[in-house]
Amino acid sequence: MRKMLKGNISLIAGLSMISFTFFLLILSYIWTPFDPLEVDPKASFAGLSATHVLGADNFGRDILSQIIVGSRVTLLVAALSVTIAMSLGVSIGLTIAVAKRTYQSPMIYAVNIALAFPAALLAIILAAVYGASTVTAVSAIGIATSAAVAQVTRRTAAGILASDFVLAAHASGSGTWWIVRKHLLPNLRASLLIQASAAVSISVLAESSLSYLGLGTPPPAPSWGRMLASSQQYLFVNPLLAIWPGIVIVIVVLGFNLFGDGVREAFDPTLRRSEP
Amino acid sequence: MSLLVVDNLTISFGHKAVVDGISFALTAGERIGVIGESGSGKSMTSLAIMGLLPETATVSGSITFEGKELIGLSDKEHSKLRGDRMGMVFQEPLTALNPLMRIGKQIAGPLMIHRGASLKDGLVKALELCEKVGLPDPERILRAYPHQLSGGQRQRIGLAIALACEPALLIADEPTTALDVTVQREVLNLINSLVTLEKSSLIFVTHDLPVVSVMTENIAVMQLGKIVENASVAALFQSPQHEYSKRLISAARLAEDAFSQGGEKP
Repeated sequence: MRKMLKGNISLIAGLSMISFTFFLLILSYIWTPFDPLEVDPKASFAGLSATHVLGADNFGRDILSQIIVGSRVTLLVAALSVTIAMSLGVSIGLTIAVAKRTYQSPMIYAVNIALAFPAALLAIILAAVYGASTVTAVSAIGIATSAAVAQVTRRTAAGILASDFVLAAHASGSGTWWIVRKHLLPNLRASLLIQASAAVSISVLAESSLSYLGLGTPPPAPSWGRMLASSQQYLFVNPLLAIWPGIVIVIVVLGFNLFGDGVREAFDPTLRRSEP
Repeated sequence: MSLLVVDNLTISFGHKAVVDGISFALTAGERIGVIGESGSGKSMTSLAIMGLLPETATVSGSITFEGKELIGLSDKEHSKLRGDRMGMVFQEPLTALNPLMRIGKQIAGPLMIHRGASLKDGLVKALELCEKVGLPDPERILRAYPHQLSGGQRQRIGLAIALACEPALLIADEPTTALDVTVQREVLNLINSLVTLEKSSLIFVTHDLPVVSVMTENIAVMQLGKIVENASVAALFQSPQHEYSKRLISAARLAEDAFSQGGEKP
């Protein structure tokens, strides 16, 4: 692990940003400066001060407390939708990759159609049918992202399946299941980790935009996306209201992206080959 | 009794026949060299015997192995023969090994698949196989990854995997082309002695006439998907019949003359 981190700036930076987010999550269950839902008319639009470190919003709710508690929704949505996206996407991608040639093209077309379907539209449909909720947002983000995951998984898997060592494995009598388990999945691991970290960033952004559109977590539960949305009205009165949730969203997204880059660097066999 | 009979084998992609009605037979313990330029269909022939042709290929004719017809055999049935009754060594020893799997597991693979061995038993057998193919310090090799070994060592591993289940037929598809000349000779000697030891038959595919002439008794010369000449090594060198065989031999002689003249330009 230490060897993996050494000199890998992306991985170190990514992991620190991710740790910061998880620190907020843990903190939200232990301590917040105020009750994030506590309305205080006297503190409306309070600036930065010792009492309200990051200020307060139009209702006088403490921004720092909302940011801390808002990490719950963001990370929950990210974790669940990435789980949906990865399990759905990887199983579809692998199925297509190992399927017979004749069955492959209709399945590839189906994935391409799913890929072209806008995630926001899916979320609106789901929200219209089942009502806007965290579950709706999670399902919409998960399903929409799974098409991209399936696409990338299929392509990467097809490349691995076409390689000499898979032919050699066939020549030793390995069946499909053996090849998937012993050869395909281990060689796919790095790509899957990178995809998962990219999917986290996508779903954090998607959750923020869905909440912004009112299709995500309903009020009053604090969510970074909705904080951003409600701050819009007061952008010229108090621009800081938009900056704080913006910063934490950037930290999570950038953190997972850098983590993905770092993982790719750490798993790159050409870099490993240079080891003694 | 013949171990392998290839009869009027034709392999085509679309309308293009890459192997065009070839026939040859191999008795148990016999060795045959298949020589030809790239695109002559020699690799496709070996893949057809192994049942590893791409899905897009259409195959006709007959291949009988140990009395069993292989054309039209289901992939599942064919895979029971692969790695067990027939083994294959590949050209590129680096890419033919899984870069993320330790060598020990890769050698133990065929034993786990065909003999139902546990990983532990497979590794014990892999250790013996490593010694058999002349790898020094086998304990270290079994723990190593492919990129940590030299080309010659990797090809020895490839040979160990192919011979793990003591196959009746070994197909070597240009096994020394990717190796240094000095290492080539070692690997050829090793294949020679192991095939003798295991009493396996050998199909040795190459484009290198001097290499194949030390490996086998008979040589099939392939050009454009056809076997244009099938003769013993001695007969081929003394009186090549086909134009392409003559060219191959004169090219080999030229190299030999240059060598005996100490590299002087004529």
